[in-house]
Amino acid sequence: MVTFQHPASLNAFERYQQASWMLLHSTRATNPAWYQAALDLDVQLHIRVDGLCVSSFFYERRKEAWTIGPAITEADLRDTPKMEACAAEVLKQVRTFKASSLGVILHLADEFTTAELKPTFDNPAALLDLRETAVRKPTNILDDSSIPPEQNSWRVLPYPAQGSGVIGTTITITRKYAPFLTVFRNAGESSNFPIITHALSAPLVAIMGLAQSAQFAPGKSSVAILQYPWLSVLAFFNEHADLLLIRTLQHRHLRQAPNLRQALTTTYASLELIDPDLFILPLSLDLDPGLHRYLSDTFPLSRVAIVIYSTPEVVPDWCPELVIAATPPPMDDLAPSLTFSTFRSENWALQDFLPAATEVVEVYPTRAEMLLLRGLKLARMTLYTLTVLMLAWVVFGIVDIFCSDAWTFDPNQANVIKGRLRNLTHEHQKSEHWDNLLADRSKAWTSMELLSRLFPEHCGVLVRNFAHTVRPESAPGQTKIGFMKEWRITGLARDEAVDRLNTLNTQEGIAALFGEIARLTANPAFNPAVRTRSIAINVRTQENSGFKPLPVSETFDTDESTYPFNFDLTITQRFEAADPLALNVNKSP
Amino acid sequence: MNLYRQSIAMFGIVLPALGGVLFIALGFTLKSKMLDSLSNKQTLFESSKNSRIKALEIETKLTLQRPKISHWSVLLAEESSSAVNSHLRAIAETLPPKEFQKTAFERNNAKAGFGSATAQPSSQLRIVFRGTFRTMQRAFLELETSMPQLQLQELRIDPNPNPQIPSTLLNFQVNYTAWEN
Repeated sequence: MVTFQHPASLNAFERYQQASWMLLHSTRATNPAWYQAALDLDVQLHIRVDGLCVSSFFYERRKEAWTIGPAITEADLRDTPKMEACAAEVLKQVRTFKASSLGVILHLADEFTTAELKPTFDNPAALLDLRETAVRKPTNILDDSSIPPEQNSWRVLPYPAQGSGVIGTTITITRKYAPFLTVFRNAGESSNFPIITHALSAPLVAIMGLAQSAQFAPGKSSVAILQYPWLSVLAFFNEHADLLLIRTLQHRHLRQAPNLRQALTTTYASLELIDPDLFILPLSLDLDPGLHRYLSDTFPLSRVAIVIYSTPEVVPDWCPELVIAATPPPMDDLAPSLTFSTFRSENWALQDFLPAATEVVEVYPTRAEMLLLRGLKLARMTLYTLTVLMLAWVVFGIVDIFCSDAWTFDPNQANVIKGRLRNLTHEHQKSEHWDNLLADRSKAWTSMELLSRLFPEHCGVLVRNFAHTVRPESAPGQTKIGFMKEWRITGLARDEAVDRLNTLNTQEGIAALFGEIARLTANPAFNPAVRTRSIAINVRTQENSGFKPLPVSETFDTDESTYPFNFDLTITQRFEAADPLALNVNKSP
Repeated sequence: MNLYRQSIAMFGIVLPALGGVLFIALGFTLKSKMLDSLSNKQTLFESSKNSRIKALEIETKLTLQRPKISHWSVLLAEESSSAVNSHLRAIAETLPPKEFQKTAFERNNAKAGFGSATAQPSSQLRIVFRGTFRTMQRAFLELETSMPQLQLQELRIDPNPNPQIPSTLLNFQVNYTAWEN
């Protein structure tokens, strides 16, 4: 069996490792029974020790069924090797129930002593604090400081009745059966099977059960006499059935307490009880059967009744504590007094006298911590999965980057290509520049073709002068400049040529002629369809003062006196800076 | 009680979460840096790719233009006036001598006409001819086709100034801007 260390002695990481080991190797995270009370478990083993005999019964909570338990002797409770054998035998039997856990409830009926609280504790509201102090530091609250705390266990029991004088008392149980319960818990640990123990004071449970078994007369005080083989417990109730006082009378090897009458009488006097009802609870085999007659004779004015708790068939009626503890009364079964309701609801009568030591309990993570540990394991798995997925995404992204053409591209190549492009661009710009400069924008032979198309031979025109000039336009700061071409023709015209001159002296006429020249010479400068250039024509005609009319047969083309008109024709063609033939301003690159 | 809670929280989720976050952050940082680097390389790559495409386009154009360019280079390498004269001599050999006569030739380095408007070096050529219309047109066609660097600035055509002696010969005066390297 693995020995666990107390977490306080471990560092943070060792604590986590220990908790993780428990999560992995035990059912603490999955079986809630590890953290439940023994009386809440489905299968319970009730063991009752009254000093005369040891009784044991299994109780299956879901089925509400009682069965005879294993045979346990007094020696099994005290002798360590026998304890272990007993625990093993119990575990073996429990397996037959297919149980997932076992609650071992030890009913202690062989001892019951009271120890008074310090008189300073007189505030009923402090009872809950006193209850905790009784478990942790009992010497702080006990009036008798001579009792050794290592060998005993104390639990506070309140006296809910008004006017009892004290707020409660403490019940003292020795720790002689603590090793027995420890062996059971260890057996459960080693076999990874939850065994939860609970040590009850049988008389307290029996007193709680009076609510269902005793007939409390309204307005009448009463006394319950719990007969056990070695002791008798006297519980005094006021007329409202609230507990006033508990006393114990040891039998001192007799069948009943020798000072019972005296004890009752003195307590009546101290509590001012007058002829209370007497309830006798025979809670063992072989008890003095004459107690009823004795009490009837001694206290003739009191109603004396023997109280028998109804138990299932398997469980004898002299050990009702098992049934009382295991089976709460129905919800509609009203308790006769505050005492009985608080004893049940606040578990005053069901306090565990021999719990596992705090240091032992603290070795194991709490239920919340185990659930946290298990939840975080799932969260971690999710986190790891997400992390792996994210990393995979990142890695795939990186691989994708590595595989891309851009990543493997050599930057030196870029410089080489850039250099090549620069050279080519330079060459191209140079080519474009010269292409622009050498364009057919102004040619003599095309202008002569224009002249010959303007005035074909024998068209009745005699040209005197022809002048063609080209002037660039001034456009500072621009990369291209436009230019203007002008043709000026002077001459003489006969009547038949006037119509031609008039036709030419229109935008359509001159444009048609330029179009024809462009087509015939393949010179783009004459193309009139380009929007960035314009053509204007002006023809001025006047009479020839030297004209001499002659018959046609007597005229010569070169005779100026045979032409009735002089004319002056000016054609202006303007090319804008946006024209394809506009001139580059800059030098060759 | 709850002695394990802090350890469980610390080692159960806080540290693994920090580790996971650290891993993811490292991964993202690495990827982010690589993406930045890739972005730079991508820009360079795309720019280089575009440059290559442009270079190919220009190369294709230049392949077609190169013969022309080399021809121009040869033309521009010659001195303008001597080149014009040698061309005119060659043209004159193919034409009737009476119909094509060069009567004057003048070269001027001063910038004028087109030459004054651009930064490109140029010279001015003034040539005077006497000849018939069609022959001169042919001569100009030959000359201007052979020497595209000649840009006509001015053309004047006048008849024979003496009306007493009729002739088909005309006086031609041309001014050219000759582009030079």
